[in-house]
Amino acid sequence: MSQIAKGKQPVLEARDLSKDFHTGGAFSGGIVKAVQGASFKLYRGHVVALVGESGSGKSTIVRMLARLHEPTAGEIFYNGEAVLSQRGRRALLRYRSQVQMVFQDPFGSLNPVHRASHAVQRPLKIYNKGLNRQKLRDKLEELFAMVSLTPVDEFIEKYPHQLSGGQRQRIAIARALAAEPEVILADEPVSMLDVSIRLGILNLMARLRDEQGIGFLYVTHDLASARYFADEILVMYAGFIVEQAPAEALISDPQHPYTQMLLAAVPDPNRGLKTEAIEMEGEIPDLTSLGGGCPFAPRCQHVMDICNQAMPAATTLEDGRWVRCYLYEDELAPA
Amino acid sequence: MSREPLIQIQDLNVEYRTVRGAVRAVENVSFELYENEVFGLAGESGCGKTTVANAMTRLLKPPAYITGGKLLFRDADILSLDAEQLRAFRWDQLAIVFQSAMNALNPVLTIGNQIIDAMQAHQAISHEEARAHAKRLLRTVGIDMARVDSYPHQLSGGMRQRAVIAIALALNPELIIMDEPTTALDVVVQKQILQEIKDLREQFGFSILFITHDLSLLVEISDRIGIMYAGKFVEAGPAHEIFRDPKHPYTNRLMNSFPTVHGPRRELLGIPGAPPDLIEPPAGCRFHPRCDVAIAGECDRIVPPLIRIGGQRDVACHLVKAEEAVS
Repeated sequence: MSQIAKGKQPVLEARDLSKDFHTGGAFSGGIVKAVQGASFKLYRGHVVALVGESGSGKSTIVRMLARLHEPTAGEIFYNGEAVLSQRGRRALLRYRSQVQMVFQDPFGSLNPVHRASHAVQRPLKIYNKGLNRQKLRDKLEELFAMVSLTPVDEFIEKYPHQLSGGQRQRIAIARALAAEPEVILADEPVSMLDVSIRLGILNLMARLRDEQGIGFLYVTHDLASARYFADEILVMYAGFIVEQAPAEALISDPQHPYTQMLLAAVPDPNRGLKTEAIEMEGEIPDLTSLGGGCPFAPRCQHVMDICNQAMPAATTLEDGRWVRCYLYEDELAPA
Repeated sequence: MSREPLIQIQDLNVEYRTVRGAVRAVENVSFELYENEVFGLAGESGCGKTTVANAMTRLLKPPAYITGGKLLFRDADILSLDAEQLRAFRWDQLAIVFQSAMNALNPVLTIGNQIIDAMQAHQAISHEEARAHAKRLLRTVGIDMARVDSYPHQLSGGMRQRAVIAIALALNPELIIMDEPTTALDVVVQKQILQEIKDLREQFGFSILFITHDLSLLVEISDRIGIMYAGKFVEAGPAHEIFRDPKHPYTNRLMNSFPTVHGPRRELLGIPGAPPDLIEPPAGCRFHPRCDVAIAGECDRIVPPLIRIGGQRDVACHLVKAEEAVS
């Protein structure tokens, strides 16, 4: 597993990113606060997992980082350079070649009328102008081999419908690699695959992290796969990142009451169905009508008066982990 | 647990007739489901688990055909029920909760009216009585009784799935088939609903056929489980015994395909290859092309029968037979 290179420059950094969506109709209009003040750093050869339930804002963060959504506030840094102020097609093209995406649905992300080679060739041509025919073919074969689609000659000629979900996702990864990116944003890349196939894709991405030094932002709702693949986990709830910690530390010793609830909800064959010590009442709040306080307060067993007044700032704990919860602010910590 | 079989499935065969040929989706599947029992069916997509459930409820439509086998509910032959008997059987004795059931609610009827409809279609009950019962059912599944007049779009996904469970309970069935009932839901909501199902079972004592691809979930909720691969049972038995000591190589590899949040972190391998095309399934054991311990000349030629290996455990694997014969 790779180490967090302390003091080294992150390849990608989100600083206080927020995104509001305006919903409007003839009868109602409102603002959905999809993401509020999200900050984190991603290093080369390092995997950060963004974990949360549907609607927690994790895909919105990915879309902002991919520059598909313009953030309402905040800044994105790529190798220390602010990117949001860089305008124009060429700047965007350069950024997108370095920060690639892999999507959830391998059935929808490949053009069904083109062969597998087409999907991988396009970024080669777009980002890597001036490759001659032979070089292009060599590169193509190298990429197919890299994602273990062998025999290469056979797979290059296939159409998407001739490939399984896992094989399609490998093509999507090869396509992302074609641009020689430093970062891959992977949005639920295994959640639509069969369980026996998922591990192969996660192991492939782990190999690319180790061998190519690619930094991954791995978005998932599955804490177990985050623990397996990621070096560090961020937990999101209702638009806020509420906890950040090294993967093992987060799983073995969750701090935020929401993280604790999420972990307790993961099925455990060793346990059998029994009543949990942790109450799992309530549901995720409506993001159009959030109060000013912690969004988890209405469901939290440890709720205090202050929780409903303002969202707590991040409290730094040992090992570089932090949590946004009043329970951990020194002066308020219970004895 | 009482030992009276509620459902007996014997040598069930189902095929889908397609232009490319017959897809043998379910082959020689046999199992019993007892009273007050949760039987779990596990397997990957396309392994036939939903087809088994649809055969049991006679919901299969062409191009799917039952080509052999017997389906008994107590002593009644499900396959020979006439339309009227089938209608009664489907609601009075058996209810179904599908994965996308929360999207199957009628959007222009209130939740309460949909429960009342189900009751009035099958019982002589006044609207007032039915409404009072609907409210009690909603409370039972953890929905505020005031929601009886809500429309589906006013409820969250988790609440709609609970409403569907309330409808399934409306006629107090003996068996509820739950096909991936929580797969589309977030993990906390899933946990809430499973807890609800457990409480309801203690209260009403119905049996469940629970279908999911998530083995951890299945072992947690089931008394016994059956593992399906490519249309066949490869292993069946008490859930915790199979979890502790899987005998079939597929079960073993499947259990080692799941990252977990419990216990130490370890390297996992998954299963190489992909499930086979069931128009031309592999000869012999259908898992042999992906099996790393397959015996050449045997596993690729002879179909391993499902055999009892002691206790309540059944396994279909040449290796297990060999092992038992030696000891």
